[in-house]
Amino acid sequence: MIDKLHEKVKSLLEEKQVELVIGWGKGSLPLTATPVFIKDTKDVDQLIFDHTCRNNLTMYLTKDKKSLGKIHDKIAIIVKGCDSRSVVLYAVENQIKRENVVIIGVPCSGIIEKKKISELTNDMEVLSTQIEGDHIIIKGRKEEFKFKLTEILSDSCLQCRYPDAIEYDHFIGEPRGEIDINDEYSVVEKFQEKSSKERWEAVKEEYSKCIRCYACRNVCPSCYCNECFVDGNDPQWIGKTPEVTDSIIFHLIRNLHIAGRCVDCGSCVSACPVDIDLRLMNKKVEKEVKERFNYVAGIDINEKPAMASFCEHEKQDFILD
Amino acid sequence: MIEIKKKQFGDFIKNLMETYRVFAPTKDGKKSSFSEIKKADEIVDVHTTKSAKSVFFPQAEVLFNYSENEIEVPNLEQKPIALWGIHSCDTKGLLSLDKVFKNAHQLPNNKMYEDPYWNKKYAESLIFTLACNEPLTTCFCNWFESGPFDKTGADIFVVDNGESFLLEAISDKGQTFFIQSGFDQEGEHQHAVFSLKKKAESMMEEKQDISSVFETLNEIQEKEFWEEITQKCINCGACTFVCPTCHCFDVSDEGKHQKGKRIRVWDSCMFGIFTEEASGHNPRGLSYQRVQQRIMHKFNYFYDNYEEHLCSGCGRCIRVCPTNLDIREIVKKIIKRKNNV
Ligand code: SF4
Ligand code: SF4
Ligand code: SF4
Ligand code: SF4
Repeated sequence: MIDKLHEKVKSLLEEKQVELVIGWGKGSLPLTATPVFIKDTKDVDQLIFDHTCRNNLTMYLTKDKKSLGKIHDKIAIIVKGCDSRSVVLYAVENQIKRENVVIIGVPCSGIIEKKKISELTNDMEVLSTQIEGDHIIIKGRKEEFKFKLTEILSDSCLQCRYPDAIEYDHFIGEPRGEIDINDEYSVVEKFQEKSSKERWEAVKEEYSKCIRCYACRNVCPSCYCNECFVDGNDPQWIGKTPEVTDSIIFHLIRNLHIAGRCVDCGSCVSACPVDIDLRLMNKKVEKEVKERFNYVAGIDINEKPAMASFCEHEKQDFILD
Repeated sequence: MIEIKKKQFGDFIKNLMETYRVFAPTKDGKKSSFSEIKKADEIVDVHTTKSAKSVFFPQAEVLFNYSENEIEVPNLEQKPIALWGIHSCDTKGLLSLDKVFKNAHQLPNNKMYEDPYWNKKYAESLIFTLACNEPLTTCFCNWFESGPFDKTGADIFVVDNGESFLLEAISDKGQTFFIQSGFDQEGEHQHAVFSLKKKAESMMEEKQDISSVFETLNEIQEKEFWEEITQKCINCGACTFVCPTCHCFDVSDEGKHQKGKRIRVWDSCMFGIFTEEASGHNPRGLSYQRVQQRIMHKFNYFYDNYEEHLCSGCGRCIRVCPTNLDIREIVKKIIKRKNNV
């Protein structure tokens, strides 16, 4: 598959169909891919695609007030299922012109969550890994572990319905097809069983760890505002310290801002340096939007986003009860 | 060098707590950071996620409280701090921060301005540097004339040999502590320490000669260099917040009507509004310009002022970066550029 990907990228560059290709390359650490920006056919071999290609690279299309799009007429981007939904989101929200981006879709069989490995190995430093069928062997300095891949794939991937790129110009590899998932909101349901006091305690405990580094926001393709409300200082909307009440406000507002826009790519979860469980609230909001407006982000390039359309018969019990 | 058996360690910490507030590496959710402890068994032996800088330079610190006609500075007269279990990279980080906060700038009367919030805490502290027996593959303190057993900046240097902690007084403060505690400097442990040191050093990756970096950075004029090496950075603050040497802060007022507090809170050169001016103009409006600032500050501006780099090679930024922007690779590219010209 990787050879076909290289060939495709090479021909796109050679034929000058695109000036730049955004994809993943091998990182400097085990289990870590890193974004690469390929302009020259001689660098095409840097591209990889495997269980380590975590980041949703589509955020580079909007990074820095879309500066890449201003420099390059045409950009190609390699996308997994979730990432392709972000491109759809950008098209729907008028952030990109669909025809200016060449989408190279790949089928994804799940991305490894390094945090799960840390937990299972008592924070052992991973020196090397090896995949054997549906298992992975993880070696440290003194110890070695063997896990089923399903034990260490990220939760987003274990509950992913659309592993193949949904929207693409070129598809490389064997599609896996839509997966019938019936537990995609299990975390939310489990959380909702708790009493409101327990829920509040859990939320406080989780967000009290936040150091407000904004890695979650910056890595997120859906967070592309030129000025985020947390950065405003005239007026200042929210306290700048890691005081838990301010951190909760930051997260809850971010959750509302990504309502019907989060594609559950899991990038934010992996990015957080203090391991905050960011997925719970993302899924809660996603579930709410799905149930109320029958809308799932990034699936249909012709459908208006949930938060930008209005129907009379939508449930309005939160306003008029 | 004296020996404290691990069995006696609880008592040692207890005694220490009579004179000091004791800070040490502790669990912090699933991660780890330095915090004040009450008992020895709270201490964990790990490469902490967050650095020790927050002990003296917390992420948010109240400078003063204000009301309509009164300003009240928080009580800075507190029990001194003993900092246990900090690795040499963080100890060196504190030395860098001390340069910044102690002699922040020259006042009109030619005296140096000393930051009162930092200075007292750090000046009175007792630093127990713990030798790093098992460096990680991301550690690169050996690039900076340092190493896992570097004693620079320690008051007391500690080696964990498995059964005991071996303590050596380094500074005058350390000597005084030894005398007050009735410790005898003599003792035969040099051999064990030597072999642990050799072992730790052998675990480190190859050292780089970084002597050309300062000069090369003076010469780089074209923005393409910076654009190219920083393209993947998403400008979060993860790297700078976990870093033991980054020290930029912002000042923020929190309050209502005429009452409130003025707080200094960590800032990051990675953030979009880092140098945004009141007019709205931002000289570092683009992502690469801010990463350039981070690298220039670490390997050029700071070196210009103090003849040392603002990086201790702790590797934390490498471990937390969501895009795997590895600072070692940036430095290597700077070195390579020098060799190519
Ligand atoms: S909120 Fe997190 S999971 Fe959702 S799109 Fe953004 S980065 Fe991906
Ligand atoms: S990445 Fe984690 S620590 Fe950073 S702002 Fe987001 S939740 Fe907070
Ligand atoms: S170098 Fe990495 S951690 Fe630092 S701002 Fe860039 S993306 Fe974030
Ligand atoms: S720049 Fe990175 S390696 Fe250097 S001291 Fe800071 S966190 Fe450690």
